[in-house]
Amino acid sequence: MKLSDIERHDTDILILGTGGAGLFAALHAQQRAPEGTKITIAVKGLIGKCGCTRMVQGGYNVALGGGDTVERHFMDTINGGKWLPNQDMAWRLCEQAVVRIRELENEVGCFFDRNADGSLHQKAFAGQTADRTVHKGDLTGIEIINRLMEKVLASGVEKLQEHRAVGLIPTKDKSALAGVLMIDMRTGKFRLVRAKTVMMGTGGGPTMYKYHTPSGDKTMDGLAMALRAGLSLRDMEMVQFHPTGLLAGDHTRMTGTVLEEGLRGAGGQLISHAGQRFMFDYDERGERATRDVVSRGIYAEMRKNNNPEQEGVFISMAHLGPDNVRKKFKGMVNRCADSGFDLAAGKVEVVPTAHYFMGGVVVDVDTRTAMEGLYVAGEDAGGAHGSNRLGGNGVANSTVYGGIAGDTMGRDVAGMSLREPDEEVLSAELERTIYPLSRKPDLVLPLRKQLQDIMWEDVGVMRTEAGMKRGLKGIAKVSDALMDVGVESSNLAFNLTWHDWLNLRSLCDVSEVIAKAGIARENSRGAHFREDFPEPGAMEDSEFTVATLQNGSAVVKNEPVQFTIVRPGETVLPEGAPETLVAAQ
Amino acid sequence: MTAEVLKVAIQRDADRVDTFDVPAYENQTVLDVVSWVQQNADPTLSYRFACRVGMCGSCAMMVNGVPRWTCRTHISKVLDGNAVTIGPLRNLPVIKDLAVDMDPFFDKWIAAEGVHHGALTRDDEIAPIDETSATRVEANAGIECINCSVCYAACDTVAGNVDYLGPAALQRAWTLLNDAKDEGRTAILDAVSGKGGCHNCHSMGSCTAYCPNDLDPMSAIAGLKRETAKNFFKRGH
Repeated sequence: MKLSDIERHDTDILILGTGGAGLFAALHAQQRAPEGTKITIAVKGLIGKCGCTRMVQGGYNVALGGGDTVERHFMDTINGGKWLPNQDMAWRLCEQAVVRIRELENEVGCFFDRNADGSLHQKAFAGQTADRTVHKGDLTGIEIINRLMEKVLASGVEKLQEHRAVGLIPTKDKSALAGVLMIDMRTGKFRLVRAKTVMMGTGGGPTMYKYHTPSGDKTMDGLAMALRAGLSLRDMEMVQFHPTGLLAGDHTRMTGTVLEEGLRGAGGQLISHAGQRFMFDYDERGERATRDVVSRGIYAEMRKNNNPEQEGVFISMAHLGPDNVRKKFKGMVNRCADSGFDLAAGKVEVVPTAHYFMGGVVVDVDTRTAMEGLYVAGEDAGGAHGSNRLGGNGVANSTVYGGIAGDTMGRDVAGMSLREPDEEVLSAELERTIYPLSRKPDLVLPLRKQLQDIMWEDVGVMRTEAGMKRGLKGIAKVSDALMDVGVESSNLAFNLTWHDWLNLRSLCDVSEVIAKAGIARENSRGAHFREDFPEPGAMEDSEFTVATLQNGSAVVKNEPVQFTIVRPGETVLPEGAPETLVAAQ
Repeated sequence: MTAEVLKVAIQRDADRVDTFDVPAYENQTVLDVVSWVQQNADPTLSYRFACRVGMCGSCAMMVNGVPRWTCRTHISKVLDGNAVTIGPLRNLPVIKDLAVDMDPFFDKWIAAEGVHHGALTRDDEIAPIDETSATRVEANAGIECINCSVCYAACDTVAGNVDYLGPAALQRAWTLLNDAKDEGRTAILDAVSGKGGCHNCHSMGSCTAYCPNDLDPMSAIAGLKRETAKNFFKRGH
């Protein structure tokens, strides 16, 4: 494989990823860009099918009146993020969500659940002070992504499906992005796609943990590429764990998948192996406490129990009446039944599971990055959520900022031209990607499992400096060992094992950054909990971590949060506004 | 499950079937079995999956000749003794091994006008809709389709007629026809009454029988047949 084997392809606007961010970027770019602009959308799987927007259960946070305001949504987002969010990004998220939900209903054709009077039904998730979450049953993501997918498929944009991005290729002077090196996964051939503007929306996804919820294709490729391209990543220690992932053994892909939040909200009980409820030992709200608190409660119980045969805890719904549970949580009950578990009448073993990554590329409110021509939106971008994402703010974030990226690229593209790639970087990225093909084939899976164990044990729900330092050593060992694992290369077409190798490469690279950022934050905020520094620290002195790659190694520094809209202890709500509009349960 | 080793036959191309011994586990789906083969026995095996939980519709395959979501099919449900045969989804071109090209399925989805046709914009308020109205109930019936192609693979009419739009695309058209927000009635009726349209359907019902989501494309297609017939007479052709 050599440089001349790379097929060269040009477009004007290139979009990586087809979740909420990528699909909205494609639609908005088409609306905004000058006539004749060529738009290309590339994705590691099939359009709209891979990625996580489709898996959204809960819904979409948006302030639509009835007492709720953009200001209130903003304050909940800042409080939820424990004062770490980039306030301008959080504000734009809340403000534009109002426009985007109308766009989804009116232009894209989504249908969300209604009240009896025909208006949109909204509910409150933990951490919200208003009934704010618009939804379609508990399958909101399917409705959003199916309708967006149809629009994009009908739009005539160029499709590069099962195209995996492996390297961001800058210009020779490194001032701008020239294009993206990709593997056409169906043929195994390389393709360099040059574009005037590129939006990266590959969707984070903390799948380096033993238990994780994201879809199988998500392996932090975007952030690993951004690091190598010299970009800064912020909040990289912030991994959100969902408290109730299914525990079904390490030989099944079902393990780690989410049992929905609503189960606890409806009165579901968490039971230890001794048969006792335990959440009230940790929080007065019991099972209804926020995700981070419940995850830590379960983790602490698991550690107390310390029995490899009985690792998790149980969720039990039967006291609510099995028929009632079957009716109210049909999807969840069926899913558990297909896997051999009885959620309605029995109990199901659960474990905290890595769910969402708050960290990401440093961007401005228009999704621009430090590199000309590169834009980032969705889970790949950091800043909007700070240390913790509220349920319902994830899909709002990806769709709002995907649309903004499309608008911004549509405007910027007019003044830009195609750029010449740095052939040396291109060559290095090609070499990096084909590295395993000339080595003796061996199994990739055992190393992935090792990394996942290390991250779960040492860089997981509860952290210490000693643990994370041990973790870093473990990550380095896996990372080195991977370089001795080759991949059978007789046929590169749809060669999943090659992609397993590349997936693990990305996961190792980003895991190192998570551990280093975790060590750098010597306090406990949101999703990041330090047993050796359990206090949150003074809010007015809040800092966020920024990681960059220097000489092949991640370096983390702290930067002060700029309180551009509101200072800790203050609010943007009018004087006398009630603390919450949600009726007590 | 009593078997300790599963005999898993995987169709690699038209005239090659490879058989693998796969260890049996208590909680194991067909997707887990396929994954075990690729991760442990034959690293060159190709297949597709994404979400693992029946939401994305990427992993459907023929299991003992029947189209199924592999991520949500417990292996014990399909074992014949200790054996199972797995092949690529029917009625779609094979890319390699168990991975098929789903583009024809989606091209037909769009050809059936399976996309929102609306007049309102982001500057308009969201229209109030009565969820209990008859048309909305009809529209909601098909809304949870995840475009997995199981019905398309099950359909003998698709197998015999490459132009036939197929059950999923037609069900989407019926959903839109009943959607108060959609203004594409004429375009949709034109699209579904053409050469590959709803009248090709012989109501054999495989789509409804095999839908893993318990949807009912056959009834949706019957609805389209009635509407296109009505439209035909109204137009006075």
